[in-house]
Amino acid sequence: MNKKDITVNKLKSLGETILEDVGKNKVPTIKVPSRGTSNIVYDEKKRYYVLGDRYGKRSLGNVKQISKMAQMVYVANFCKDLIRRGKTATLREMYYVSEGWDVDFGDQQESNIVGEDLEVTLGMTREDLGLMPEEDGASVYGNIVIQDDDVEINALKSGKSGYTISPTIDEVEFVDHDVKRVIAVETMGMFHRMVQEEAYKKFDTLIVGLKGQAARATRRFLKRVNEELNLPVYICNDGDPWGFHIAMVIISGSAKLAHVNHQLATPNAKFLGVTASDIINYDLPTDPLKDIDVLRLKELSKDPRYRDDAWQMEIKKMLKIGKKAEQQSFSKYGLEYVVDTYLPEKLEQME
Amino acid sequence: MEREAAELFEEFKELTASEFFRRNKQMLGFSGKIRSLTIVFHELITNSLDAAEEAGILPEIKIDLKRLEKDHYILKHQDNGPGIPEHYITRVFSTMFAGSKFRNIQSRGQQGLGCSGCVLLSQMTTGKPAKVVSGWYEGEKLKGVEMVFKMDVKTNQGLILSRKEVEVDSTGVKVELHFKDVSYSLSEQGAYEYIRRTMIANPHCKITFRDPTGHKYIFDRADKGIPPLPKEVLPHPKGVTADDLIFMAKHTDKRRFRSLLTSNLSRMSTKRVKEIEEITGIDLNKRPKDMKWEEAETIVETFAKMDFMAPPTSGLIPIGKEQIDKGMREILTPEFISSITRKPKTFRGGISFVVEAGISYGGDSGRMVGEQRKAEIMRFANRVPLTFDQGSCAITEALKSIDWKRYGVRDLDNAPITVFVNIVSTNVPYLSTGKQSVAPEPEILHEVRQATMKVARKMQKYIRAKRAAKEEALRSKVFESLVPVIIREAALLAEQDVPEYDAVLAKVTRRTKYEGVVEDE
Repeated sequence: MNKKDITVNKLKSLGETILEDVGKNKVPTIKVPSRGTSNIVYDEKKRYYVLGDRYGKRSLGNVKQISKMAQMVYVANFCKDLIRRGKTATLREMYYVSEGWDVDFGDQQESNIVGEDLEVTLGMTREDLGLMPEEDGASVYGNIVIQDDDVEINALKSGKSGYTISPTIDEVEFVDHDVKRVIAVETMGMFHRMVQEEAYKKFDTLIVGLKGQAARATRRFLKRVNEELNLPVYICNDGDPWGFHIAMVIISGSAKLAHVNHQLATPNAKFLGVTASDIINYDLPTDPLKDIDVLRLKELSKDPRYRDDAWQMEIKKMLKIGKKAEQQSFSKYGLEYVVDTYLPEKLEQME
Repeated sequence: MEREAAELFEEFKELTASEFFRRNKQMLGFSGKIRSLTIVFHELITNSLDAAEEAGILPEIKIDLKRLEKDHYILKHQDNGPGIPEHYITRVFSTMFAGSKFRNIQSRGQQGLGCSGCVLLSQMTTGKPAKVVSGWYEGEKLKGVEMVFKMDVKTNQGLILSRKEVEVDSTGVKVELHFKDVSYSLSEQGAYEYIRRTMIANPHCKITFRDPTGHKYIFDRADKGIPPLPKEVLPHPKGVTADDLIFMAKHTDKRRFRSLLTSNLSRMSTKRVKEIEEITGIDLNKRPKDMKWEEAETIVETFAKMDFMAPPTSGLIPIGKEQIDKGMREILTPEFISSITRKPKTFRGGISFVVEAGISYGGDSGRMVGEQRKAEIMRFANRVPLTFDQGSCAITEALKSIDWKRYGVRDLDNAPITVFVNIVSTNVPYLSTGKQSVAPEPEILHEVRQATMKVARKMQKYIRAKRAAKEEALRSKVFESLVPVIIREAALLAEQDVPEYDAVLAKVTRRTKYEGVVEDE
């Protein structure tokens, strides 16, 4: 049974549950796993956030919950229709479509929440349900061939900016590849540097330009190449708390998306740099930490995702030196230095 | 040129009551254009009501206010009371303190200043004389006279300009007065509001009022019972001062002070008199005239230490719950009303009083301020509306001290409610000569609070029930519209037929519907 059929069946079963209760003259109720902070727990074994076992209820007999329930069945029908017709829609599009429904959304935020309700209730991502994010994913450069519907794409022959990960990344098939690893970088500046210095050849790697915080599609892509193609994933970001956390969200998922982290987190991915140690060892040009950086570092030190010793040490070290550095600061030693010296040294250490 | 002290004092002595008030008209309440006119209405209306009730007549008043030019009005006020015999007309309308009497009785007016005060104001602002038509019975004969007169302030007497006998249809008095420097206003302090409030506290009377725009308001009576006449009651020992005792001693026909005490004070028996003699050592067998100030003081101090029965309350005639309800309903057409007449209590140890309170919600309750209805406080003393000096009044103070949130009123100023409070007493402790605010005696504050809280509690019950009913109706509507939608969509989702769901719908909308809430007792 393919994923589409599974999704459709899950949606149908939601309707069936309601009808079953009606058949028994019972007031129908839908159990929706709670997404409140107290129900988001860090799973040590899985190494990412998951939802706990608390549930909220959407009851037909409760005046406040009944409209949520109505919205939910409407959204479910909308999704079922999307999947059947092989289409996708953005949440915004769904919001406008909902204008014709017998129950209205107060604002788009409300329709987003109902979308999430459906995700957690069915245990499917919204991409599974055909609800696509607006934003595109990262840029990928390197020797990989993928099949997107009836188009075959080689990420080495898609221009200097590479292949852009589509929100429908789950529909994409990996056809062939000739790489040994994946290196994701925070900025497109670094991405282009690595393309120009032919890092993809030197390290047999895919280069992924994250463009800041990784989009859901990017995280799906990284997880799939890691798990389906068995490629190690390295992340190279700015040497500051924000760079750390962009990496960590890829590795261990975010609390906000705890209900879909099993499809998004890549626990095997590794943070390559820039670390506080790198700042010292490579004597990088730095900026002093701002108050907000210090605050964020202290927050991270208490976050369960940063529990291992290496992270704790790096956070402490950065607080101690009171400095941060951008990944492009390696240019101090010439534009080629990062690819010629830094990356080989770091990869050697890590592999 | 210097004048001798004796000369100055000569003038001082000659100052009549009329002359005094001519110089100090604000002491009669005549200050400010709006206030002056309201006070005129107040004096004439209270006089008419008192007169009619005393004669056992259902009061009916016709008022016609015309504006001749800006700030210049002509007022015609007519009642259906017993009328004033010719001989007394100028006394009533031109002599200050004419009616002054040492009587311990609950009444609207008290000082005998009212009508002559109005004539004084008219004369002072326009120089025009007053015109009065009176119809009264002399034996079986209905007589009528029309008089035009001025007030001679130097002699505190009327100066008749013309007089003629006229035919009248019935008894009653018609007064016609000119005024300048007054102004008719629809505000809370204005004459119109004064009439409206009078109607609430006196649902047995009828007032027809033609305002300066020519609009005729008819406030019809909501009730046909004339309130019983209050009886005069003797003052209670704890309510008198040394000065009162000396005054009584001077004006009594009793030959012994002890008999003066037993006949002029309530709750005073021979046994009590003996006790006083024993405690003070004063010989109470002496002639009243021989009573010294110091002795009177000692006696009053002794009164304070003794236990007396509470003063008799037969002199207090409250409006009554039923009448308040009628009055408020007629004028405010509220959604809800609750009122209460408390049991008599005493303040200052010996003055009895009764507090009545009413609260109404919805309809015309509250005052429209802009687009919003705000709470309205209606204060009364012996059925007379108190329109000024709200801030210093015991009623206002008591109401402000209530925690209105406990009664479902989030903010007293912004609720569509009218709070009615009437204080009934033979001696309402007014704060000033204008008689527009009641002194904050602790017992009065307490009673006003208790009374208001009682009625507010009932209102809260109503508001709560109403709110619950509204929510319930809303709830049912939500279910009735959404249940079919959900089941239809669920069937579509499950790709099945829409099942029978009447039982489930009945289950979720099971609660009974709102059918109005009746005030419970």
